[in-house]
Amino acid sequence: MFRKLYGWVDSRTGIQASLEEALYENIPGGAKWRYVSGSMLVFAFMTQLITGLFLWMHYSPGSQNAWSSVYYITFEMEGGNLLRGIHHVMAQAMVCLLPIHLLQVVIEKAYTKPREFNWWLGLVLLKITLALGLTGYLLPWDQKGYWATKVATELAALPPLIGGLTQKIIVGGTDYGHFTLTRFFALHAGVLPGLLIGFLILHIAMFRKHGITAHSSPHRPDQLFWPMQVLKDGVACALLFSVVVFAAIAEPVELGPPAEPTEAFGAARPEWYFLFLFQMLKYFDGSLGFNTELVGAIVLPGVLFGFMFAMPLIARKKFGHHLNVTVIVVIISAAVYLTWEAKQEDNYYLNHPDDTQSAAYKKSKRFHDEVARSEKEFELVQQLVRDYGIPLEGPTALQQRDPLTMGLRLFRRQCASCHAYSHDDYAIAGPANSDATSDSPVNYGAPDLVHFGSVKWIQGLLSNDLTTGIRSDRYFGKTLHVEGEMAEHVHETMWAAVETDADRQILATQIEQIAWALSAEAKLPYLDYVANQEKIEAGIAHLNDDTLGCIGCHNYGENEDGYVIDLNGYASAEWLTKMISDPTQTGFYDGGSENDRMPSFHSEATKLLTPREIELLVRFLREDRTLLDD
Amino acid sequence: MNEAQSEQHDSESSPTHASNARRGFLGSASAITAAAIGGLLGVGPLAIGLYATIMDPLRKKTTPLKAAGGAAGAKDGFYFVAQIGELDSHVPRRFTIVADKIDAWNFMQGQPIGSVYMRMQGEQVECFHTTCPHAGCAVSFELESQAYLCPCHNSSFNVDGSKLESDGSANPSPRGLDALEVDIQGTNVFVKYEDYFTGRHDKVAK
Repeated sequence: MFRKLYGWVDSRTGIQASLEEALYENIPGGAKWRYVSGSMLVFAFMTQLITGLFLWMHYSPGSQNAWSSVYYITFEMEGGNLLRGIHHVMAQAMVCLLPIHLLQVVIEKAYTKPREFNWWLGLVLLKITLALGLTGYLLPWDQKGYWATKVATELAALPPLIGGLTQKIIVGGTDYGHFTLTRFFALHAGVLPGLLIGFLILHIAMFRKHGITAHSSPHRPDQLFWPMQVLKDGVACALLFSVVVFAAIAEPVELGPPAEPTEAFGAARPEWYFLFLFQMLKYFDGSLGFNTELVGAIVLPGVLFGFMFAMPLIARKKFGHHLNVTVIVVIISAAVYLTWEAKQEDNYYLNHPDDTQSAAYKKSKRFHDEVARSEKEFELVQQLVRDYGIPLEGPTALQQRDPLTMGLRLFRRQCASCHAYSHDDYAIAGPANSDATSDSPVNYGAPDLVHFGSVKWIQGLLSNDLTTGIRSDRYFGKTLHVEGEMAEHVHETMWAAVETDADRQILATQIEQIAWALSAEAKLPYLDYVANQEKIEAGIAHLNDDTLGCIGCHNYGENEDGYVIDLNGYASAEWLTKMISDPTQTGFYDGGSENDRMPSFHSEATKLLTPREIELLVRFLREDRTLLDD
Repeated sequence: MNEAQSEQHDSESSPTHASNARRGFLGSASAITAAAIGGLLGVGPLAIGLYATIMDPLRKKTTPLKAAGGAAGAKDGFYFVAQIGELDSHVPRRFTIVADKIDAWNFMQGQPIGSVYMRMQGEQVECFHTTCPHAGCAVSFELESQAYLCPCHNSSFNVDGSKLESDGSANPSPRGLDALEVDIQGTNVFVKYEDYFTGRHDKVAK
């Protein structure tokens, strides 16, 4: 029955002849394991084609949608992470297989006469594959892809005369935006795979025309492609696929925080297989007097690639083949070395934990800090997406309403040059000790603002402990206030009278009660004021009775004789807004004479922060993550 | 196998075809016409597609930005950035430039479009683009080293924007940081914000 049907089909299609044509290729010397690299590359590409098509079904290019759709694929879609993971890992496998395939061809001398054209076709395929890697890196539109690809397109503008035009055509204008994505996507999913298929057909046709380079051996009989070589190829591809799937499951593919053109990403690196080109650029530092970046980025890679194109012709000369092998080995070794060197530079601080003062250490530390910051930002945006979904305007619109995301950014930019924020999860380092901006090196820094206004924070402020109290670096240690009336009062008045442990206990209790009373003014969302009502009331009584001498200087309740830092509504949203906007206003450092270096962030003369940014910062400091309205 | 197929093909061909083939590939007027039409059919759509794809971004000569937000009275190409009281004479501060933005088919009001570093130098305001002139990463000012550092290829710049040349540290940037023209009107600081090609010795606006 089957035989009859097959005969009918074959008589109309010639399928039998085609199959024989395809499968009964003679292999001189028989099937070998080392012939599998070509088939593995074809298989890898097919995997990319298929997984790519399915990714395409869920991907949407465009500034607002690209990240959102990749987020959906990666974290929401059933099987999406595996699908994208396989595409991601197989791309890297392909780039690993390419030089192996190429080296085999060179070593077997298979690039020489009469196979010149196939060598050239192979080089074109190599270029297309790398271009696929480059264009694919941008598509998720995360910070990493955005900033790394931006460098690549900046380099496209290097060639004289046509460079600027080339850049505009690739980017789709002068700025990154929708058109950059639509163009990169069309290249990645249409133009380049189309070209690759075309050149691959030619490559294989040419290969079949000339046959395998090996010669018949008297020790091993020739074999046909089917079945032994097909079996070996199949086993190799199955192995490759298993490894790729395993890798994709073992290390789920990641996504960075969404791209933001004005939030520079300080750890932009290309995909690892382009790191050697990235590293090479560092060597072209203009010391030769002409435009050497062009040489490093375009001329030198172009010359090397040109040499590879010329290899079949060079091989015709005496010792030409040896020269070719030498140059290829040198190129590959250099690429491996540069990749290693780039990694070494980025990991310097991990490998040299004691060399803290060197520039290499600091640079590497900054790189890792940026990577960590980026991971944190992603965690935050993931929480936002889970809680609120992604709005039409895209993920950055959501981030810009989030006090935590924006608070960390604003604090880092505007506050961290004086204040530290030593939060367990979101620590921001304050200034390194430096005399750069102050006349007195000691007076440089400001209180740590983590949990500002909390009971603990206020207790610390009222403590005379030299490592954690008011004169420590966590409070006034690096400000003019270290010798001010407040610190003096805490040290010389409040704690000076303490002699016995009982005294100490009484004072500590009073301080705790006052801290609760003041913190109750702040109404911080993370403290339970209701459960501590007794302490609060006792604290209010201490304040009104002036047990610890607070209201001599500070206003509180009925007392209106204070001249500095109003304690009414202390650390509340309104109080903080005023303090940040203009600390020299009445109720704070009135007139500014008591103010050390705190700038006015939104006053008549200065608008370093918009009211909206101050609101975000205030909520951040109060650890209130309620989203701002649009 | 190939020979067998071509024999089969020949036997099926009509004598007319065979004689045409003998006259050569482009041996007749109709053959030349057919080749020309065939060629045009292939090139036509490609040419139109390429034309549109290449010309569209080139036609837009300037950054697609509408008038600057902020205070009125800005000169052409200038954006309001800050008030003079916000500038420090020691430490350069980073400012974001906010303006209306067009991204392809979208118009968006009040978007961050770029950033600059500014500080007071006597009566003058010194203003630098944050884009590294080497390869387009963003530099940041580091208090500790009193220098602008680029996180990508180790370029670094002095606080006055000039290339930082110190022994043993490579600095691949072809030029110092790009200074931007500043216009002060009263207490308002306006900056002529534009992007420059990276990797060149001369500052050329995009």
